[in-house]
Amino acid sequence: MAPLFRPGTDAVLRGILALALGTPAVALAGWMWLARSPLGRGSFAPVEQPVPFDHRHHVADEGIPCGYCHEGAWRSPRAGVPPTQRCMGCHAQVWNDSPKLEPVRESWFADTPIPWRRVHALPDYVWFSHQAHVNKGVGCVTCHGRVDTMPAVERVVPFTMEWCLDCHRAPTPHLRPFREVASMTWRPPGGDAERTGRAVRAALNANPRTSCNTCHF
Amino acid sequence: MPLLTDSFPLPVLADRGDAGCACGAARPRAWRSWESRREVPARSAEFPDGADLPPEGIARRGFLQVAMASLAAAGFTGCFRQPAEDILPYSHPPEGLTPGVPLHFATGLEWDGLVVGLVVESHEGRPTKVEGNPSHPASLGAAGVFEQAALLGLYDASRARTCRLEGQEVAWSTVQEALEARARRADEGAGLRFLVEPTGSPLLLSLQARILERFPRARFVPFRASLPEGLHEGTRRAYGRPLDVVHDVAREVVVSLGADFLATTRPGNLVLARDFLAARKPESPNRLWVAESALSVTGGFADERLRAKPSQLRPLALALAAEVGAALQREEWSRLRPPVEALSDAQRGWVRRAARDLLAHRGRGRVLVGPESSGAVQALAFAIDEALGNAPRLIEPVARPLGGLEALASLVGELRAGTVDTLIITAWNPVYAAPVDLGLAEALSRAPFRLYHALHEDETSAHCPSFVPAAHAFESWRDGRAPDGTAAVLQPLIAPLFPAAMQEADVLGVFAGLASQSPHALLRALWREWAGAPQDFERRWSTWLAEGVIPGTRAAPVHAELEEHAVLAATREPVPPASGLELSLVLDAKVHDGRFAGNAWLQELPEPMAKLTWGNAAWLSPATAARLGLEKDDVVRLALRGQSLDVPVLVMPGQADDTVTLALGYGREAPEGVAQGVGVNAFRLRHLDAPWGASGVGLTAVGRREALALTQEHWSMEGRELALQVPRARLTEELRALRPLQEDAPHLYAAPLRTGAHQWGMAMDLHRCTGCGACVVACQVENNVPVVGKEGVLRSREMHWLRIDRYFLGDPDDPGVITQPVACVHCAFAPCEYVCPVNATVHSDEGLNQMVYNRCIGTRYCSNNCPYKVRRFNYLEYQQREPLARLRQNPSVTVRSRGVMEKCTYCVQRIERARANARARQRDLRDGEVRTACQQTCPTRAIVFGDLNAPDSEVKRRHEDPRHYRLLNEQGTQPRTVHLLRVKNPAPRGGT
Repeated sequence: MAPLFRPGTDAVLRGILALALGTPAVALAGWMWLARSPLGRGSFAPVEQPVPFDHRHHVADEGIPCGYCHEGAWRSPRAGVPPTQRCMGCHAQVWNDSPKLEPVRESWFADTPIPWRRVHALPDYVWFSHQAHVNKGVGCVTCHGRVDTMPAVERVVPFTMEWCLDCHRAPTPHLRPFREVASMTWRPPGGDAERTGRAVRAALNANPRTSCNTCHF
Repeated sequence: MPLLTDSFPLPVLADRGDAGCACGAARPRAWRSWESRREVPARSAEFPDGADLPPEGIARRGFLQVAMASLAAAGFTGCFRQPAEDILPYSHPPEGLTPGVPLHFATGLEWDGLVVGLVVESHEGRPTKVEGNPSHPASLGAAGVFEQAALLGLYDASRARTCRLEGQEVAWSTVQEALEARARRADEGAGLRFLVEPTGSPLLLSLQARILERFPRARFVPFRASLPEGLHEGTRRAYGRPLDVVHDVAREVVVSLGADFLATTRPGNLVLARDFLAARKPESPNRLWVAESALSVTGGFADERLRAKPSQLRPLALALAAEVGAALQREEWSRLRPPVEALSDAQRGWVRRAARDLLAHRGRGRVLVGPESSGAVQALAFAIDEALGNAPRLIEPVARPLGGLEALASLVGELRAGTVDTLIITAWNPVYAAPVDLGLAEALSRAPFRLYHALHEDETSAHCPSFVPAAHAFESWRDGRAPDGTAAVLQPLIAPLFPAAMQEADVLGVFAGLASQSPHALLRALWREWAGAPQDFERRWSTWLAEGVIPGTRAAPVHAELEEHAVLAATREPVPPASGLELSLVLDAKVHDGRFAGNAWLQELPEPMAKLTWGNAAWLSPATAARLGLEKDDVVRLALRGQSLDVPVLVMPGQADDTVTLALGYGREAPEGVAQGVGVNAFRLRHLDAPWGASGVGLTAVGRREALALTQEHWSMEGRELALQVPRARLTEELRALRPLQEDAPHLYAAPLRTGAHQWGMAMDLHRCTGCGACVVACQVENNVPVVGKEGVLRSREMHWLRIDRYFLGDPDDPGVITQPVACVHCAFAPCEYVCPVNATVHSDEGLNQMVYNRCIGTRYCSNNCPYKVRRFNYLEYQQREPLARLRQNPSVTVRSRGVMEKCTYCVQRIERARANARARQRDLRDGEVRTACQQTCPTRAIVFGDLNAPDSEVKRRHEDPRHYRLLNEQGTQPRTVHLLRVKNPAPRGGT
């Protein structure tokens, strides 16, 4: 009588088992990887704005500091997007007939807001304060990247909780002197971020907290 | 292994239940309701029957919810990118505003004609939170339930939005033209009548004066459900003319005959409560005597409470005067003694002892009479006060025009006679709130032109073809006066949400010939003139606006001589005899006269003593209910003078026998929305000659039952003794017995980390807590806590993070009462944390028991394991997400959705905001910089929050106070919120 199962049957069974367990595991792992990947996070995707505002021109060429437009970062949870009035401060005089600035002029004269597209968004259950970071020596560039080289702003860091916690647990190498916070090109002297960070941390009493209620309430 | 009771010889473990007493000496048993005391099983379980069932009658909705949930789950995008969003910056930014930083503006809220000063928080132009104004004499930093809930009235979707003229929807300018045509008249205003609410507002009063100048024969008729008729009649008898009284209750002895001065339901009461508590130090408390028919906040707080029928307040006042007079050898006074049958022995004893107490504290006492009492009783109280050297502070009446319900009656006469051609109504809802025998609705139709100005299209607007929607207080420029006369400019927080909304000054301005001027311009002109048009007016004006008070406007005291013979003559006037069942109509503690009935926060706030939400009920004493064979929820028909009303019964311990107490303000027919159909309209039993009730009311059972949404048995902590109250005489020994409730118990788990620089803690002083409920609403506003509706409350699903437990003590007919605020106590060894499978609730290094909404998967294990029953679960999607509701949400607090557990966070958003502000200035958080919402609004400062590590913090002092104890300390939870026991000061017995 021929055997019911041939010698190769075990291999088939093992294969099926491996697939049954492996597929969900790989899928889960892939999904978790995707959730953290630039693709999943939507990083490195330049966001087109209703006005073709170019940070390269304003920050790098003209040397306008971050705080001129995003002054809220120093005293408010929100850095803020500048009011149309700020744009018109200059563009009432320069490029005041440029067709690219038509939406700005329209906003100014009709007193309606310009609908800027949000680039850096956190979930609604996260409370984030620019004020708390900027005043403790976290530079703009640390989270927002070299905005001065971006024709259209894109996200360059993952903005996951893991990424936040990495810095909250060990902030020292990410700190810089308070006066250099808005600098796009600052490098730690001698390349020793740890040493500079230690000094800043002591001077600014930068001791980030990691309990849940620091950001979630 | 030894028995638990041997290793922990705590009285609570030894004897749970009946005589359960944690501190040695025998104390009366505490119980939650008449039903629970008799162990009627209904709804007494920790989680009532059906608590976890879905709501009925929503099969379609439920299906859609499931369908949408699967749709949402299908797209896992939620785990990845945030949804695309626009940022809309200002085009022209407002001055001084940084997006993300809230601004605070001083303003105020006028109700009952008087102003309570407020500070309102505004996020990018939308008001989100109301606080008291520390500079304002009627607030001193506190806010009551109505002030806290006023915000919801602003964002009320049922507000009226369009003007009507003769039934046609038109623009305001058309109405204005029609009004101007009405103002062009040759009869000097003989046919022109205004039905207004008395107000202290100098602007409105100046407009009224100007109108009367133009139209000398026009009349302003005062109307409100709660006109101060009795008080003004009393001062007229006692001092010769109507006056207001600014009471000072920081006294050794306060005797109240029906005056509920500790509840926050009258504009001056916030300050009265604070003053009273100032004289009530636990080590040397003053004494409060209260005689009342229905249990009130003040009655619950009393040292010596007496149940009395409404009709007995007058004999009580007479007897009190007779006792005082006899002791002062005033021959005439001793003749005041009421007939023997008018009062029981116990009542006469109470009066004797109260009189003795007053006499022993001459110049340091006060007799208060409820505003519902007649002029004769009010006058008698003044006479007693004057005789004992407790002269009250009198001022000219703040709110005008003066007058009582008879003014409305004469207007109805004029309407019937057809002499009124133009009637402008700015008083709140007179058709609903007028006495039923006046026939106002029918008489209104006799006026050819009648215009109603109000926030809502309501019962009155149905009888007025012309209508102008009113702007909310937070949308208006106006002014007003505090109960002590101090004036304040009340500035708007936001432009009217509905552009057609107009202010009362806009409407009156047309008749004053000032239609071209905005209320803002009128207001500035008025106060510039008052100040004498100084050079620096702009600077002064800004200061007044910023501070919320105008200095130098406090009313000067009036020196008036008491006319004793007039008072005595008044007491001899006959009163109608009272017999049978007495009906007492009262203003509701939550919706007042009905004007707040559309406010869901107030509807869901448990009534301070009955713990009733969403409706009113006929309160009956246990003895009367037993005699009539009635139980809670039985519907009875109340019949009075041909009017009848079907209302469910609530058996209320502490209620006077043979007295039915029924709250006004419910049973609204319009507008559509929250208010409609909640409770029954008690105004239908209100008569011109008996506005606060009458005797001889008929009561018959209908044979139907209607469930009342009571919260008193929800969140039960199962009979353990929790709220402690001791008489002063036994204080020392009780404090010794309190030790087991103060010490740490051994624990199996490792001690939690205490590495944080700040260790947050709270103390709730029961000695100061009156149970008024302001903190409950404040917490709800601050933390975006949703309402669940009557059906939800019946299932014990109310979401209040902070609840106030009310316990009865002892005798079921005449119990003692204690109130106890309970929120999450932030246990060091938190039972909830041990059972959460996903670490959604964990401890912080600063001692907070943190709730992480984004981790919560809704198992509800934490709630089941919480001994304090302070966790609340979003069984359904309770949050409203329509645009108006979203405007009022606090942007610093996550809006929780369905399936998430939530609870008190110690207002951690305030901690974190204050910390960010302090640390940005390179310094540490100081003690006192963070105040929780409940703490900030509390009129009596019963709640204190702060840093236990700060060397000199108030909260640390209270944590070390010998009166402090930990709730359920035998559980070993080591709560961060401690309670401080209440000291009662009953009068010594004997010798009577």
